[in-house]
Amino acid sequence: MSGDTNPAVAFEARGVSRRFGATVALDDVDFDLRAGEIHALVGENGAGKTTLAKIVAGALRPDSGTLRLFGEPYNPRRRSEGSAAGVAHVRQQLSLVRGLTVAQNIELGRPRRQVAGAPEETAAPGDGEDASLPAAGRGAGRRPWPRTFNAKAARAEVERLAAELDLSVPPDELVDGLPLAVRQQAEILISLAWGARLLILDEPSSALGPLETEALIELCLRLRSEGTPIIYISHRLPELAELADRLTVLRQGRVVTAGEEVAGSDLRRIAELMVGDLSLLEVRRPDLELGDVRLEADGLHLAAEHGPGLRDVSLRVRAGEIVGVVGVAGNGQEELASVLTGQATPDGGTVRIDGTDVTGSPGTAIATGMALLPEDRTAGLAAGFTLADNLIARRVSDAEFARFGVRLRASVRRHARALAQRFDVRPPEPALRAASLSGGNQQKLMAAREMERDPAVLVAAGPTKGLDPHAGRAIRDRCFEAAARGGAVVIISADLDEVADLSHRVVVLSGGRVTDRFGVEEMTSARLGAVMAGLHWDRSGEREPEEATGGGGDGSSADSGAPQDDGEGATGRHPGEAATRGGKEGTS
Amino acid sequence: MSVTAEGPPGGGAPGTSGAGDGTRVPRADTSFERATIGLGTSLLAVLVALGLGAIILAGSGDNPLTAYGAILAGSFGDSFAIGETLARAAPLAIVGIGAAVALRAGVITIGAQGQLIAGSIGTLVAGFVLRDAPPAAAIPLAALAGAVFGMVWVLVPALLRARLNVNEILSTLLFNEFAFLLLGYLLNGPLKEPAAITPKSDPLADSVILGDLVASTRLHAGVLAVVVMVALFGLWTRSTMGYRYDLFGENPRLAHSLGIPGRRIILNSLLISGALAGLAGWLQAAGLLGRLYVDIAEEIGFFGLVVAMLGGARPLGILAAALLVGALQAGGLHMQATEGIPASLSDVIQALILLGFAVRYAPQIAAIFRRAVRSVGETLGPVVRHRGARTAGGTGGPRGGPAGAGGDPDGHGES
Repeated sequence: MSGDTNPAVAFEARGVSRRFGATVALDDVDFDLRAGEIHALVGENGAGKTTLAKIVAGALRPDSGTLRLFGEPYNPRRRSEGSAAGVAHVRQQLSLVRGLTVAQNIELGRPRRQVAGAPEETAAPGDGEDASLPAAGRGAGRRPWPRTFNAKAARAEVERLAAELDLSVPPDELVDGLPLAVRQQAEILISLAWGARLLILDEPSSALGPLETEALIELCLRLRSEGTPIIYISHRLPELAELADRLTVLRQGRVVTAGEEVAGSDLRRIAELMVGDLSLLEVRRPDLELGDVRLEADGLHLAAEHGPGLRDVSLRVRAGEIVGVVGVAGNGQEELASVLTGQATPDGGTVRIDGTDVTGSPGTAIATGMALLPEDRTAGLAAGFTLADNLIARRVSDAEFARFGVRLRASVRRHARALAQRFDVRPPEPALRAASLSGGNQQKLMAAREMERDPAVLVAAGPTKGLDPHAGRAIRDRCFEAAARGGAVVIISADLDEVADLSHRVVVLSGGRVTDRFGVEEMTSARLGAVMAGLHWDRSGEREPEEATGGGGDGSSADSGAPQDDGEGATGRHPGEAATRGGKEGTS
Repeated sequence: MSVTAEGPPGGGAPGTSGAGDGTRVPRADTSFERATIGLGTSLLAVLVALGLGAIILAGSGDNPLTAYGAILAGSFGDSFAIGETLARAAPLAIVGIGAAVALRAGVITIGAQGQLIAGSIGTLVAGFVLRDAPPAAAIPLAALAGAVFGMVWVLVPALLRARLNVNEILSTLLFNEFAFLLLGYLLNGPLKEPAAITPKSDPLADSVILGDLVASTRLHAGVLAVVVMVALFGLWTRSTMGYRYDLFGENPRLAHSLGIPGRRIILNSLLISGALAGLAGWLQAAGLLGRLYVDIAEEIGFFGLVVAMLGGARPLGILAAALLVGALQAGGLHMQATEGIPASLSDVIQALILLGFAVRYAPQIAAIFRRAVRSVGETLGPVVRHRGARTAGGTGGPRGGPAGAGGDPDGHGES
């Protein structure tokens, strides 16, 4: 029984290095994962977390260094060998195949070959298998060739595992229609069915709302208690404090802190180790200086086949004001973003920018100075286009970039280089394709295109989602800058921290309705949680008239005193708090 | 476009966010390296194809060397052969350019075959109307008639696609059949040359016939139109309008959010491809053949799509691909005639060599194809999810934005 050689260590890496061209992604990294622990791997984007995860999963081979899995030498040449050995890598972009059900997905890609170190071969002589490797017992294992799809068995397997893990994963529904959180659960479930003995979760919570994140944490804790060790990659420290046993911090490819116990450690110090400079986490929201109403949405109605659509949503945002629209994903946020930017035509109501009606007309919205950062970055960038071509998308026909309808390529390139540098897009290389940029730089690229000129209205959906502190701060500062220069800013997000950091005023969207409005200083997680969960549904009928018509007019000037105070509060806030606060007070 | 891939490492700041997450860093390759790799794989792919062809030829009792020699002689061996290659390449390039405009906008049309037939009929009609006009006026008008007829032939599929999201691959394919049957009817009935045994039309009016460019070849003056079209297409790829079409093909959702009218782009790109296919019909009728035959379109419509893809939907690429296909066809015919190698075997050899190039350019072709195929998938979706697509707008069904939204996206401003 291989587990006997060193039962305490599930995985260890010694002196692992990996380069990409001239970039050193990992430099002499040691890492160990004990059996039955959750080990957090933290660091900024580009710190090497994902590279290490890929090496563990077998998707990448290290240039040097040794790996051991459950005490055995472990040299996977590709991802399939890693998963055959029991390593499951659940990535941000889930790998479930759309158009198939969960039960069909469980069959598709089930590891066929088993390599050395896999449970079937190594465990055969021993009989202590259940004690040391309980997770391995979950999977049905490989079937003899020819492998045919047994729909009933697959469904039963999904149901059995879902019951064991206390998840509600429907076996027969198409993956496409499932919420992200459920798809993620399905992927974890499937990897267990494939005999995973070690899970790598790469930024699993980045796209989840607070309640879904809680569920994910619960699932992880349950898996740990059943003996499955987990490598948990994230840069959300409060979340790690709740679930991780130990953490390793990577910075620029090097281990800064190895395997530190999470219990009793100072999260602020961890944040500092991760970023290298705590001032990055400081939030300097500009003081509220209200100007004229720039964005005016009245009585928006939208019927939707999926989700609640919009029901009588009104919103007024003044120059210099940042309004956060918060709510559990799927409560009308996407619809609101597309209606506000003119992309979707509402069934009722109007949207005006500086008095110009832009309802249902994205072209007019852009002409009047609307800027949009969509939540889904694939919707906001032409990935196959170069940086230069992406950056002029709003201004192709400007006299600066075209003469007689023919594009002036030199001028387009020059513009791209200057703009990319101004917005710190790296590398600022006009001829590079947008697809080759990292997520943070893609977001910066999008911001550069949209906010090259001061926007009249900025609608940003989850603008800092999934970004590391550096990139996150850059984007956050752009949003502040837009407001400070007299723009009306709307932040739409399911992330409470993001909304709390960015907004002066908060609007809660639930079931397609605005169910609450308040200044950010009144924002507590208890209040928000209750409102977001829809507990105050009946309130919507009895709102004060000024709130019912939106926080504009007297309503928003009444707000203006309070956010001023908050502005001071924000700048006076302790630096580390931004990273550790929110939803989970008391962790620091 | 050599690119210094590595971002400045941090520039003082500790974050190397420019370098992505390590794995995203593009490989640093100089254009020289890439050129040599490209040449190597190109040669290898073609050599493998030639090798496979040699095995087939040898298996059927032919000498591969003489067979390949015949292909070369028939395509570039003398002035007649070169003329033949160019005359065959001309309509391929023009159809290819039309297909490329559509492909770049994410639309796959395989209706060039029918549009080409329509264009040749248009040329015949123009010749009849303009039989007494001076050639200087009649020739351009005949070309115009060819283009307009091609455009008319794609109008119904284009409107169906733009308005009702009817898949353009199916509809244009069906319209090929209509065109073929219509031509067959015309050549066996109203337009039939009375004395002819096989169905063919009377010769076109002299006023619209294109003269030979080089004596004792079939190279007609119409191939000059290719030069014009390649230049225009080059301009298109650099124009602001071409940019919008490309952007729509690359990311319909982004295009929609920028106020670019998707339906109009779908409609126009199909009309442009139809016009160019019609123009190729004019080349065939007024340039090469001088009258209409049932098989006037040969397989130019389909090979035109091959040329567009093989050429990476770029002007010079298309030109090169058209020359390659034209040379293979001319050489293949020559091989068949001089070496007595069966036509079908000749087709197999041509196909193998094309396949070799296709393998070489697989990534580029895949990129074009992905764009178009993606749009097909999205076309089929929103028909069912019409309502959902509408509300999704920016984030939901991509094509649902422009095409699935209630009302014309161009007209939204008036609401």
